[in-house]
Amino acid sequence: MPSPDPSRSAAVAIDVGGTFTDVTLLDRNSGRVWNAKTPSTPDDPSRAFMDGIDQALALAGIGPEALGHVFHGTTVATNLILEGKGAEAALLTTAGFRHVLEIGRHDIPRKANMYSWIKPKRPVPPERIHEIAGRLDADGKEIQPLDEAAVRAAARAIAKQGIRAIAICFLHSYANPAHERRARELVRAELPDALVSISAEVLPVFREYERSMATILNVYVMPAVSTYVARLSDRLKARGVPGPLLLMKSNGGVASAATARREPVQTALSGPAAGAMGAAHIGALSGHRNLISIDIGGTSADICLIQDGQPGATVEGRVGEWPLTLPMVDIVTIGAGGGSIARVTEAGALTVGPHSAGAVPGPACYGRGGIEPTVTDANLLLGRLTPKLLDGRLTLDREASKRAVADKIAKPLGLDPAAAARGMLSIIDNNMVGAIRVVSVERGHDPRDFALLPFGGAGPLHATALARLLGVRTIVVPAAPGVLSALGLLVSNLKSEFARTYLQRPPDYDRAGMEAVYTDLERAAREWLAEEAVPESGRAIARMAALRYVHQGFELTVPWSGVEGTIEAFHRLHERLYTFAQPDTPVEIVTLRVTATGSLPRPAPLELPKAGPIDAARIDRQKVDFDGQPIETPVYDRNRLGAGARIKGPAILVQLDTTTLVYPGQEGEVDRHGCLVLRETA
Amino acid sequence: MSARPRPGADPIATQLVKGALRSAQLEMETLLARTAMSAFIREKKDFFVALFGPAGEMVVGTSIPIFGGMIEPVLEHYPRAEMQPGDLYWYNDCYASKGAVSHSPDQVFIAPVFAEGQLSGFALSWAHFNDIGGLRPGSLSPDATDIFQEGIIVPPIRLVRAGETNQDALRVFVRNSRFPHMVTGDIRAATAAVRLGERRLGEMFARFGRASVLEAFAALIAETRGVVARRMRDTVPPGRYAFAEAVDSDGQGHGPFAIRMALEVGNRAVLDASASDDQAPGPINFIMHPDVPKLVLGIYFLSDEPSALLNHGALAALDEVKTRPGSLLAPRFPAPLGQRGMTLMRTSAACLGLLAVATGGKAVASGNVYVIYYLRGIADAAGTRFLLTDGIAVGYGARAFADGIDAVYLVANENYPAEFMDLSYPVRLLRYAINPDSGGPGRWRGGCGVIREIEVLAEEAMLSIRIDGVTNPPWGVGGGLNGRGGRCTVNPDRPDRREVAPVSDGTVVRRGDVVRIETGGGGGFGHPFEREPARVLADVLGGFVSVESARADYGVALTKDGSAIDAAATAALRRTRTPAALFHRKVYRERME
Repeated sequence: MPSPDPSRSAAVAIDVGGTFTDVTLLDRNSGRVWNAKTPSTPDDPSRAFMDGIDQALALAGIGPEALGHVFHGTTVATNLILEGKGAEAALLTTAGFRHVLEIGRHDIPRKANMYSWIKPKRPVPPERIHEIAGRLDADGKEIQPLDEAAVRAAARAIAKQGIRAIAICFLHSYANPAHERRARELVRAELPDALVSISAEVLPVFREYERSMATILNVYVMPAVSTYVARLSDRLKARGVPGPLLLMKSNGGVASAATARREPVQTALSGPAAGAMGAAHIGALSGHRNLISIDIGGTSADICLIQDGQPGATVEGRVGEWPLTLPMVDIVTIGAGGGSIARVTEAGALTVGPHSAGAVPGPACYGRGGIEPTVTDANLLLGRLTPKLLDGRLTLDREASKRAVADKIAKPLGLDPAAAARGMLSIIDNNMVGAIRVVSVERGHDPRDFALLPFGGAGPLHATALARLLGVRTIVVPAAPGVLSALGLLVSNLKSEFARTYLQRPPDYDRAGMEAVYTDLERAAREWLAEEAVPESGRAIARMAALRYVHQGFELTVPWSGVEGTIEAFHRLHERLYTFAQPDTPVEIVTLRVTATGSLPRPAPLELPKAGPIDAARIDRQKVDFDGQPIETPVYDRNRLGAGARIKGPAILVQLDTTTLVYPGQEGEVDRHGCLVLRETA
Repeated sequence: MSARPRPGADPIATQLVKGALRSAQLEMETLLARTAMSAFIREKKDFFVALFGPAGEMVVGTSIPIFGGMIEPVLEHYPRAEMQPGDLYWYNDCYASKGAVSHSPDQVFIAPVFAEGQLSGFALSWAHFNDIGGLRPGSLSPDATDIFQEGIIVPPIRLVRAGETNQDALRVFVRNSRFPHMVTGDIRAATAAVRLGERRLGEMFARFGRASVLEAFAALIAETRGVVARRMRDTVPPGRYAFAEAVDSDGQGHGPFAIRMALEVGNRAVLDASASDDQAPGPINFIMHPDVPKLVLGIYFLSDEPSALLNHGALAALDEVKTRPGSLLAPRFPAPLGQRGMTLMRTSAACLGLLAVATGGKAVASGNVYVIYYLRGIADAAGTRFLLTDGIAVGYGARAFADGIDAVYLVANENYPAEFMDLSYPVRLLRYAINPDSGGPGRWRGGCGVIREIEVLAEEAMLSIRIDGVTNPPWGVGGGLNGRGGRCTVNPDRPDRREVAPVSDGTVVRRGDVVRIETGGGGGFGHPFEREPARVLADVLGGFVSVESARADYGVALTKDGSAIDAAATAALRRTRTPAALFHRKVYRERME
């Protein structure tokens, strides 16, 4: 797929957000980048998608025929799941298990109160779940043949209801997919236009509730994602774009439109995954391969730990109320952002978030009718933000912020407004520190061994305080923190995982059997790479395995290096994560995995011209409240800082889409690729 | 607005400590679940963790009313002044701990936390171990006649002194288990979680300073106490209220047993349970720690205040709790306690019943009692012993704003997936479904229980089962009807069908036998004729309510194919509404006494 044709040397990335669609166009040869921003069009996101591409092409002065690749991060699947607006879907399940979704894991969540908790409504109600006789045992051996007549009858009943999205999940299909495959054939014979997913292809891993849910969510989002992706492809074709459309998956890799249409649930974390990939790339460019990235927007913060240039991965994710145990980038999201609202509860506690004022009405200082004090209001009140944002397009009303903080927070708590605002920031910062600890300390990493990489509109404003709370000494602020997700898309590779549960108990590990499973998985991986048209030279295939101590219920995934080496690596990881290893205890091998990667050409990085005198970049000064100390602080225009420019705190750096706050005691330098690398001097 | 900062406590620092406590708790829980070995802990997740202040007052725990005074048993044996960093304490002794734990399989591990050279708090984990010896595999049996048959008893002991583990004590304990490897793994997991809590509390003291953290602890307890005390005042007017609840059977041919509670609210709020029946010969006795009824009310009053922590302040609803020695709720040593779960859940229901009486029915209906069965035998030709301890969901009580929760066991506890069962035990799960019509009909329906059906693949196994709420079903409130169901049958669809007593042990099953367990639902809230017909139809289509029950209980008639509401017939049915009363158990009744 990497195109040798120099006329197709451009790539474009489109990140569709709730308010704006960001488009970044890259000339792979020169490394030059053009950014365009256009209002999103939620009724038909493909409109803003094309508008944005056209704008970017115009800025770059090139035609659509130059586009060798079109990368896209989409929230279509995420929003369908979170808002419960997916397709009417049906499920075929093993006889006796019609209520597999209703019952779930039969728990009331640990954090819930049993007297007020309400069980969330399932994406498929029981009347659309059809029981099919036929049973396999845990090894995949057939005990009872598939009731083919029942499958046909169910398909006809589904057809009568006008439903065309069908999931099939039978017990133990991870060990043997024969029944599911046969059922799919029968359903397709009855319903040729139906979208059908079988669990053995979506998630061939044991635990039927989680596997059923993943399969259902796949068909639940399939019609909308499929229509959407098809429309994008058509529009690109009509526009004369020659390059393929590639969509970001939750695992941080991209896949073709065809793959995304077949496994749309793989795009559930598409947006945040793109951000993590962008952070990894920028970090590596600036010489930092161990990073904690934090993307702070208006309503939420997404946090990811990046080790040796690779974002962490998990197979225990959730989307909204539902478990989604597919491989995905390990991102922790919390309801903390610039729009997070502060409140004093009836009991006298100050809380900040998760409720957000969003874009409308927005923080009080936006003057759009918001009266609740938000994190942005606290920042403005303390002088940490300048009164004008977005190159002067947005003027902030500091008095409105002060009123909101004074009335709603300071008075009830008996504090002065500045102290109340500092309290709000302490709380939101500590919430974020808590989330950072989840991806670092709780995964056995010391955050002080990592650099912090903030992005998103509010990231660089909070990062310097977060770094101090965490004891992190280096902060890497990208050149364009607002479009890091688009950059992540541009630098991504094709990636897919293939897994199978294949339980091996000691001492008789079936080495030949495992080799056969790996061979199978690798065949599937190679077929996928071929389907994605990856040339031989760009292909990489790696083996992983999930292990646990006998009798444990959770597995840890480590790279495969033969039975003994893998077990040794498992002991070490267990010790790092859980404080102890148990070398006296036998180890089970549970799931075998293969990861397939197809490399795409890397863009040449941006080279910034040398810096001139720093004073030329200073545009203003204002008083900033640093932990109760008001300090006169210079304001710099970040765009006027060239390579090698040095900044000494206290300082404020403004640019189109973000503000960076540098504390006294912090110093930084802009590197040749435009990253501002800040360090503690003391 | 009544919000006023506590003098001395910085409101911001308090919130920061609250966040740190919550994340430490979560981290301890995760570690324990991930590393434990018995399915009871790792899949079912029958464990809890908590953090305490220096006086043993809980600052953060889990919203589940089954514990109390967890640190005191250790302090009674080991003076504070002699405690050292690195110590770790352990007990499961129900009688010596005065009900801090209430059956022997629950192991409590506690580490003191030091800051600035002073004892400053405690970290605790508490987990149900799958076998600690005793009469039968799994340690608990309805056949038990004294607590010595329910496994080894560990009085409060010091397992680790300043980092030095008493290996001898560990060996004695592990030797008493039929599954020593699992017990060993579980001890490692439970103690690692405590050590993690110890470290996190230590970091908190180091970061904020000992004095600030202790002030924050006090403020967090005051915050919770404030909510509970205010809700109690607003909900329960001065007066005397009485409510009686019943436990079906002790599994040894006796019962029902009454739990009789009286609540007197004036200057003080006093709960008197002394009129409850005498203790039972069978193992349903429950050492009711005074904190248990307090926590039931506390958790209920905190139900719409998610920002308050569950801690010592939640005990504020009651000033005093009275029990009578020798009664079901204050049994004399060495009465057996193993099946106390039934009595515990009925105690909860009785406390909520008092609220229903005091408020004229503006409370939650009774939930059912989670069901558990044990299957023990030889798994294979090599003679490997197996023990399947399988908790089964029930339905919870309906509320003034929502249906009762369908098919849940208890906070945090999870089920064994069918694929896990098939993979791990010599059984096959044949059916796992909602038990239709088990939820008590009402304006809001009681939650439904489930049907769980297994085929036995082992040559022979012994079944122990515990189902309550069969003869005394969970009551409905405000016109809602009681929950229904609760049954265990062997080979239900075959000529050799036999019923198994709901609380019993010793039933022998063989290869090819099918065991069907149907669990009961919760009580309903409000008159069922007031439920919107559309909800009734949805329940019918979803398998929660039968066509017959829709008609008989809800006055909703469906069209012949069962797919739509017959409006005219429904209107006619609903004209025949019978008068209701405050409670319903088999019949409508104004009082439960």
